[in-house]
Amino acid sequence: MTEPLLSLRDVRAGYGAGIVLDGISFDLPARGSLAVLGRNGVGKSTLILTLMGYTQIARGRIVWRGADITGQPPHRRARAGIGWVAQEREIFATLSVEENLTVAARDGSWTLAAVYDLFPRLAERRRNLGNQLSGGEQQMLAIARALMTNPALLLLDEPLEGLAPIVVEELAAAIRRMTEQGEGAFILVEQHADIALSLTRSALVLERGRIVHSGPSAQLLADPAALDRLIGLRLAEA
Amino acid sequence: MLSVLGMLFDGIAYGMLLFLMSVGLSVTLGMMNFVNLAHCSFAMLGGYVTVTLMNDAGWPFFATLPIAFVAAAAASVVLERVFFRRFYHAGELPQCLLTIGIVFVSIAAAAYIYGTDQQPVQLPDYLQGSLHLMGLDFAVYRLVLIAIALAITVLLVVTVEATRFGAKVRAAVNNQRMARGLGIDVDTLFAVTFALGSGLAGLGGALAIAMLGLDPSFALTYLIYVLIVVAVGGLGSIAGSFAAAMLLGVADLAGKYYIPAFGSILIYVVMLAMIMVRPTGLFGRR
Ligand SMILES: Nc1ncnc2c1ncn2[C@@H]1O[C@H](COP(=O)(O)OP(=O)(O)O)[C@@H](O)[C@H]1O
Ligand SMILES: [Mg+2]
Repeated sequence: MTEPLLSLRDVRAGYGAGIVLDGISFDLPARGSLAVLGRNGVGKSTLILTLMGYTQIARGRIVWRGADITGQPPHRRARAGIGWVAQEREIFATLSVEENLTVAARDGSWTLAAVYDLFPRLAERRRNLGNQLSGGEQQMLAIARALMTNPALLLLDEPLEGLAPIVVEELAAAIRRMTEQGEGAFILVEQHADIALSLTRSALVLERGRIVHSGPSAQLLADPAALDRLIGLRLAEA
Repeated sequence: MLSVLGMLFDGIAYGMLLFLMSVGLSVTLGMMNFVNLAHCSFAMLGGYVTVTLMNDAGWPFFATLPIAFVAAAAASVVLERVFFRRFYHAGELPQCLLTIGIVFVSIAAAAYIYGTDQQPVQLPDYLQGSLHLMGLDFAVYRLVLIAIALAITVLLVVTVEATRFGAKVRAAVNNQRMARGLGIDVDTLFAVTFALGSGLAGLGGALAIAMLGLDPSFALTYLIYVLIVVAVGGLGSIAGSFAAAMLLGVADLAGKYYIPAFGSILIYVVMLAMIMVRPTGLFGRR
């Protein structure tokens, strides 16, 4: 049998004494893709931060390629193959675009040429400092920077948040291309449920730190009533 | 040599010393938010290493400089491993109390070993005297000092701005959490940076003794200047530290030359004015 790339077993985690996530369990196979949905403040980012090692884990285990990484510090997890695109992008403002890409790069199929090919805009801006970019460009850089570490699992925390519709389309297309050609798995947190579901194989929905639904993405996408009940469709709100 | 040019020259030489003694603190404070008030104790250690090697072992002045660097760097690694790393998440007050304690221990230790007198320093003949250029006298030692400090500054800027090590340091200063999340081992990077910064302070201390003198109060006297440089220059900014050190060196000497009664207060006025105009420092970004 093939062992999952990542599995969470009954994870309870939060910040200091404050528990945010409780009883989180799921498996992600190698090359798998998972959408994490839910309203604001339900713990989606906390789940990503827990996978990276930035929260306190009160109970449960995180297993990566068969090894327990529950207590490992973030830089070890990154080196073990987990790539992170933070919700706030967190571009290094005092580094050039190219330095942002190379500062933590590790060998693999994602090279400078490959990410410039995926995001031609970054090639044009390579000499600019991180703080001279537009929101969309910063998001491209955050994704490209994580790709340059050649992760086996990419964590994307609301990569489309706050971007103009045209940029959303451009980025979604890039993510689609990336996931089609990529060898790796990814977890996509997204408010745009339709886009997230169309990009992934499976999905889970969080509600106040617990998993309230999990199943194939296509199934959820085809059931607008369930979607509306679980997260409230964005279109319905607007 | 009380002309304006002469005063500027001396102020720049003095500023170079202040730069060497403070740039390490600026970078490590920017990276880890660790308040190391004992930074000048490493400078003082460098000074005593040089004095001891010259006076007791008969070493030539220049040969003592690398040893002063290495001794200060090594001492800082030991302190970092044993004490400092336990305090990274402890908040500023415990950090200040710990490191000011180390300052007093270093002062007491220096007084115990060397006494409280100024250390005699006999520079080699070729570093004494002065050069006549354009109708002005330039002390040879101060010229050499400026040349060495400039060379180190260039080396430092190239290392920080144009190498991958330097990019990692800047990334960690800029956003420690993200740096870790990309796989950069910030703790090790910090330990190395800390050792290099302390080594530079040791070198600065060794170069300083012929101009500033050396006694056990060095660790406290120049701490004030170093903190001013860091505050005015902005955390983690090499260019800022350099500009602030030059400004402070010249302003301090100008005050003492031209208005002796008021001179030692002038730098504090300059500092307050700077901080009010630019609270994040000359080149600071936060
Ligand atoms: N650094 C933090 N410290 C304490 N509580 C936090 C922190 N970050 C988020 N939280 C809390 O955790 C809960 C989940 O937040 P988050 O994971 O950011 O939600 P989401 O990403 O789903 O919008 C919220 O109640 C939020 O207030
Ligand atoms: Mg979030």
